[in-house]
Amino acid sequence: MPQVKIIAKNFMDMVASLPAMKLDALYHNTFICEAILRSLPPLAKKYILQMLYIDVPVTAKAMEEWVLADGFSKHRVAIDRLIQLRVFTETSDRKKETSYRLNPTFQTNLQKHLIYGGVLPREPMPSNITVRLPSLDDLEAYALGQWECFLLQLISSTQTEKLTNFSSSMMKVFQRGLLTQREKEAPRLTESGFQFLLMDTNAQLWYIMREYISNSEERGVDPADLISFLLELSFHVTGEAYNINTLTEFQRNTIKDLVDLGLVKLQQGRKESWFIPTKLATNLSMSLSDTSSRKQVVHKTNYLMHSSTAHVLSNHYIA
Amino acid sequence: MGRSAVMAPVPSKLYSDDVSLLVVLLDTNPFFWSTASLPFSKFLSHVLAFLNSILLINQLNQVVVIATGCNSCNFIFDSSSVPANPNLENGRMPALCSNLLQKLEEFVTGDEKLSKEVLAAGIGSSLLSGSLSMALCYIQRVFRTGPLHPQPRILCLQGSPDGPEQYVAVMNAIFSAQRSMVPIDSCVIGAQHSAFLQQASYITGGVYLKPQQLDGLFQYLSTVFATDLHSRRFLQLPKPAGVDFRASCFCHKNTIDMGYICSVCLSIFCKHHKKCSTCGSVFGQAQSDGNSATDRKRKTPET
Repeated sequence: MPQVKIIAKNFMDMVASLPAMKLDALYHNTFICEAILRSLPPLAKKYILQMLYIDVPVTAKAMEEWVLADGFSKHRVAIDRLIQLRVFTETSDRKKETSYRLNPTFQTNLQKHLIYGGVLPREPMPSNITVRLPSLDDLEAYALGQWECFLLQLISSTQTEKLTNFSSSMMKVFQRGLLTQREKEAPRLTESGFQFLLMDTNAQLWYIMREYISNSEERGVDPADLISFLLELSFHVTGEAYNINTLTEFQRNTIKDLVDLGLVKLQQGRKESWFIPTKLATNLSMSLSDTSSRKQVVHKTNYLMHSSTAHVLSNHYIA
Repeated sequence: MGRSAVMAPVPSKLYSDDVSLLVVLLDTNPFFWSTASLPFSKFLSHVLAFLNSILLINQLNQVVVIATGCNSCNFIFDSSSVPANPNLENGRMPALCSNLLQKLEEFVTGDEKLSKEVLAAGIGSSLLSGSLSMALCYIQRVFRTGPLHPQPRILCLQGSPDGPEQYVAVMNAIFSAQRSMVPIDSCVIGAQHSAFLQQASYITGGVYLKPQQLDGLFQYLSTVFATDLHSRRFLQLPKPAGVDFRASCFCHKNTIDMGYICSVCLSIFCKHHKKCSTCGSVFGQAQSDGNSATDRKRKTPET
């Protein structure tokens, strides 16, 4: 079961369902353009490259001439995806002939990215200030530890142990669908809940991210801003320290939540404080791509998780 | 460049179908570039943008560039090597530009020096056989890193004419590529077609193209040569109208379309010899001039 593909695709569906103006605004950020590009099926990526420097609409017929009989379904999937994400704009002329061209904002920014490269809005801090930076191995252990804590709280039926800083209402949002939430009954793991536990870390993370973003408007946060920040975060360098004062207030609040998921680590120096992206954060953009179904390599954490949840479950659920 | 940065193992589910290793062979022959219609600097800007676009479309894609000089070849860029400055994303612009250009300059200077010392036998041609061999060796190493690796292919950006003295070496490289299932794409930017590259692309299943408008080079590169191997099953890519299969004779390295062939080892000669210089088989007497061409070809050696 290609779990990462389904979950990540659902995330892109969510991006695609943003209102047109918001989506167009997202494309002002070159890293978003790159993340979106990487999430597309291979044919769609190629179409973007070949349309990158073409300013006039190209007829659908002309594009179909390049496609062999075997490839028509893939061609349609690629075109549909490009239109859904507003990367391609579709026009019909008087003769009802369909043409495509690249979204101008997307096009300009990707051209710039290609020639000049992307510049992150923040630079890593100099190493003389960030003295106690964890090693990459320690950072990875930290990230997975944080994630496991979160998972434990997620599937825990009792709210007595507060392992993370998420509010109980936020946890209830995450638990929706994974645990039954009936009055007067202790929460139990649903079928989807079991499946969730067996997914690999990246797929679980995307699931949680999707819930976190879908719920953002209720918390007074613009989902487009959140998506933008998350994708931008995935292009930072794992293990490097970035100053907290380069973040907006909204981003700072988001960072606190991301600590609980193991995406970043916070540290404080004498005068400055900084955040360090972990592999969980920087892998986000990699796992966005449409992967083919291959044999699942179950992450080692899942076995630990499975055995520890089995322990927890046995304490709580066995009649 | 003696480094060999083995890529950190990636969970197989993150490995999509289009992950590519692109090895680009860049013709730097100054004799060619001094008379080319497209200036070298403009050419480079198209190529650099193209290389960056390959790295852009998939985080796991890898690009390697080998410079093909008159007298030497060498690696001038590898996107998988650890960057000196971790601030700049691995192998990306502007790091890509500055690293590559610096190594390129060092290479061209070094190659030029060799010209003064060595009397280049084929003035005007570049060492395509050398860079093809280097590319194939690099790819072999990648194959041996394990079952999970990007799909490799070679792209020759060639402007210099074919050097017939390299015929045997080039054909050996082509067959080696064919056996390893590594397609050789050819983008010919010189004035004439390249028989070597036509054969290379034909035999290995790559694409051969001689762009008609060089100032639109990026467009040809992005439309045709950026296509990953998986997607090629679904797309109609340019096919050459005809392939020049002419060989070079082993004795003088001249291109011939009619000649003598040793039936033991298939070495090719433009005129009659007493014995084969490759395998030592002794040939029979030459027939008189009145005979037809086909009779000449049917000469068999006596062991």
